[in-house]
Amino acid sequence: MQNLSGNGALPSRTFMQRLRRKSVVPFSNKSQAILFILPGLVIYLTFVLLPILGTVRYSLHDWTGFSPPEYIGFDNYRELYRDEDFRKAIGNNFFFVIFYTIIPILLGLFLTSLMSRSKLKGMAIFRTGLFVPQVMSPVVVGIIWRWLFEYRGPINQTLTLIGLSEWIKPWLGDFTYAPYAVGSVGSWVQYGLCMILFLAGIQAINEELYDTAIVFGANPLQQFWYVSLPGLRQQILVAFVLTFISALRVFDLVFVLTRGGGPGKETIVTSILVYQNTFNLNRAGYGAAMAVTLATIIVAISAAVFWLQSRNDDTNAT
Amino acid sequence: MKRLRLLLVLIVILLMTTVGFMQSSAQEEVTLVVWDNFTREAEQAMIEELNARFEEAHPGVTIQREIYETSDLTQLAPRALSEANGPDVIMVNQGYTGMGALVEAGLLLPLNAYADQYGWWDRYAEGLHARNSFSEDGQEFGTGNLYGVSNTAEVVGVYYHKDIFEEVGLSVPATWEEFEAALQTLADAGYTPIVFGSLDGWPAIHTWGAIEHAYSSLNEIDDFIYRREGGTFVTEANITAAEKMREWIEAGYFTPGFEGMDYDNATYGDFINKAGAMWITGSWMTGSIIADLGEDADNVGFFLLPSATGEEVPLTIGGVGLPYAIRATSEHPDLAAEYIDLVTSPDAAALLFEQGYLPAVAPESVEENTLAGDVVAAWNLISSNNKVGHYLDWTAPDIAADIQEMMAGQVSPEEFVNNVEEDYKSSE
Repeated sequence: MQNLSGNGALPSRTFMQRLRRKSVVPFSNKSQAILFILPGLVIYLTFVLLPILGTVRYSLHDWTGFSPPEYIGFDNYRELYRDEDFRKAIGNNFFFVIFYTIIPILLGLFLTSLMSRSKLKGMAIFRTGLFVPQVMSPVVVGIIWRWLFEYRGPINQTLTLIGLSEWIKPWLGDFTYAPYAVGSVGSWVQYGLCMILFLAGIQAINEELYDTAIVFGANPLQQFWYVSLPGLRQQILVAFVLTFISALRVFDLVFVLTRGGGPGKETIVTSILVYQNTFNLNRAGYGAAMAVTLATIIVAISAAVFWLQSRNDDTNAT
Repeated sequence: MKRLRLLLVLIVILLMTTVGFMQSSAQEEVTLVVWDNFTREAEQAMIEELNARFEEAHPGVTIQREIYETSDLTQLAPRALSEANGPDVIMVNQGYTGMGALVEAGLLLPLNAYADQYGWWDRYAEGLHARNSFSEDGQEFGTGNLYGVSNTAEVVGVYYHKDIFEEVGLSVPATWEEFEAALQTLADAGYTPIVFGSLDGWPAIHTWGAIEHAYSSLNEIDDFIYRREGGTFVTEANITAAEKMREWIEAGYFTPGFEGMDYDNATYGDFINKAGAMWITGSWMTGSIIADLGEDADNVGFFLLPSATGEEVPLTIGGVGLPYAIRATSEHPDLAAEYIDLVTSPDAAALLFEQGYLPAVAPESVEENTLAGDVVAAWNLISSNNKVGHYLDWTAPDIAADIQEMMAGQVSPEEFVNNVEEDYKSSE
């Protein structure tokens, strides 16, 4: 061992030892940990936790956003309970879960099953291309789709071209179709995230499971159903929680696509109401109450999903 | 060690420059901070020209100008005006949620004394100052102190293509019946009578509001906007106007698919490209139309939507534009007032007019048979006859959504006026 250190293969090891010895001396393990956590913690406290607490506090006040806040207890929440627009907005948020969560997960699974088991040339290009919507700015996405959905835009032009002119609709301005139009853009944005998560997850599945499945005569669909899908449980859960939160807090797409919830209030969502109340109607306290309610719903449902999952894992383990 | 020394040197240099900078700005020079919404490229020269004149007349005064889109300006105003070094002069939005909230929070300076001193009361028709006035507690709109002075004006009327009118044998309609007949004539000739797009929401307020004003009296609208005793949206005129809107939609008088068309590109493009004969919108488009059509712009004219109740001068949506106001805690209120005097002066009006704006102070001479001339004449007619109406969303913030529902037939005209009334009552 001793002479090995001279040949340049292991100086890193002695370096690591020295480092370890040195750093252990002045601190106990615990204080060391705190030291490392501190910068992140300070940033988190200042920019996340304090504003959240501030929002909770303001939600108990009648506040224009610039006048001195006046404490009114739970009046904002009482009003919220009776607010039809708020109920409609929350309802729309849950409607968008279909498009933000369910469709992207199904689409992601489908694409993953196509891409993971067949060796296609130029796969990296396909994968990158399919992921592009996810990394684009939502405002850019909104502007592009607004143009596509234009009454005389590409979608309607294509419909005319292929002889389906009776299907032409003023998509984003139509009371029936606008929610679906906005939702479908959400699906287009979210499926990329699901796909990448699943592609990564599928690589962690033991190849031998597939080999065994093949030996037992499973076709690709059965391989996917009995091997891939169970192996992707964790990734599906993560995709569900992430996209579900996106669906409940969507703002930018609606703001750009239907100018904040039109036609009428067909596509209005909670974040838009928070924004309108806080900045346009000078009702920052009421807006804060909406934001707190929305955050509570998100936290409660996410927590429930994780709890169910962990319980499931426990029962599987025993 | 070398790196550390370099870092130290850098820090010292940085400190020295910031201290030096702070010292130089501490000298007795006055900076007047002005926030406005003249964002278009072509407008910059106009404002800079005015600012240069002001700085020339006041040695030692520097104007620090910040430009914002109207919506940004409106949202930033309360917070900016609460700052000790916020804007001295700022354009504020009219109405309860704009100027009213700022007055209530004590952020704006009453301008009555300055108005007396500079003669602002005579700049434009007396009734128009009400739009920039609030009671001291910010609760009552259209009365009390003056908090702003405007330099632009707006009127919502009908732009039309003269050659299309000529082709189908039409002249500018003088009565409501003639206007409706013109719609049918144009439709029969295969033209879209009125280009329209309601995707953005607010254009619906203007288009339907124009019809609503044609049926209403100024008292009805004033009572509603200023929340006076008896002010209501449930009026015979409003129900009739909603029925008329539905009738026109069903008759195909508006652009097909208008629900899915936006204002800036689709609707404007349709009008410019003569996909339709008329466009009901505000005088603010004059500059763009002139710029985009060039010499052909004189082929476009502007007239007021006639009164549906037989009034000679029709009640018309319009008003004075975003007014200039002074921050209550400004250290240089006199200077700020002098600046406002300059940018709202007839001199400034002439510059504004050159940019295609409709100045609040009417230009003395305008060329007839030009688009700009038509617009100025229309404004002069309604402002001198006290026929200037209002934007309905000032008091009913959700009205665009309500109008969209009514246009799509989701609600009946009666339900529609009741919905707006509810919105009106709850946003009090």
